[in-house]
Amino acid sequence: MRWATRAGCHVDRSACAWLIKRFVDTEAEFVFVDDPDEVPADATAFDMRGADLGHHDGDCTFETILQRFGLDDPVLWDVARIVHEADLDDQRYDAPEACGLDVIARGLSMVRDDREVVEIAAALFDGLYEHRRRALLLGREPA
Amino acid sequence: MAERLKWVFLAYRLPREPSTPRIALWRKLRRLGVVQVLDNLVALPLDARTREQLEWLADEVVDAGGAASIWLAEASSAGHERELARRMSDAIAEEYRVVIQVAGEAAGQSEGQRRRTAERLKRDVRAIRSRDFFPPPEAEPARRAVAALNAVLEVPR
Repeated sequence: MRWATRAGCHVDRSACAWLIKRFVDTEAEFVFVDDPDEVPADATAFDMRGADLGHHDGDCTFETILQRFGLDDPVLWDVARIVHEADLDDQRYDAPEACGLDVIARGLSMVRDDREVVEIAAALFDGLYEHRRRALLLGREPA
Repeated sequence: MAERLKWVFLAYRLPREPSTPRIALWRKLRRLGVVQVLDNLVALPLDARTREQLEWLADEVVDAGGAASIWLAEASSAGHERELARRMSDAIAEEYRVVIQVAGEAAGQSEGQRRRTAERLKRDVRAIRSRDFFPPPEAEPARRAVAALNAVLEVPR
């Protein structure tokens, strides 16, 4: 299935692309557009104006996708806490990791195009997921 | 002609009642550091981030039953551009002055309280910097005041 989002992938969009590919649609193909009008008819739009998979009630798109697809894995919600703060920085959650994640995602988008950003960020989020999974299992920060 | 800055404008209208969405919007606009151009028209210097942030707020306005549109613009006169930049810089300078004052007052507090103040001020300065598009002279003294407060706390006892 095709998925469309706006060009210029920062933290929320990179995280969403990873989430979709790993947990929603392993066959996902991504299209990057500049305007909602350019979304192909067969693609599902996310993290753009007017898309259902966008920001709602103070949630970032990552959280919206978790809700819409009924993903209740607590590890994903812990990743969502970090993505939310990296994207919105509204202090809804305590996420000291967010500053670093935001800077890394921002820097990546300066030196790579969207397709590469999504690919590289996928490895990053695999790692973040594993880190949070172990943290939740151990009940403390893993070594 | 000198290159003019590009701006992103959010024009919006929200019903007067209920007031909750109005207040929520006002808080978010404040956090982004927008300059109020006129009633219901706010602006930020254009970059990928500011544009996106205002676009999300435009969606929220529409979700709350209002109307909103996003415009990219540049001032046709350098004077208007300077005026907007100056107003933004003045507002931020005031925020830095509060930081400097609070950091100064913390000197007389108990250690625990000073520690909490230092933590809060560090967060405050980070938040101010994120919306400081035209850094005023107060930026550096504010950063130093908070650093000094933290340095005192790190002295081993």
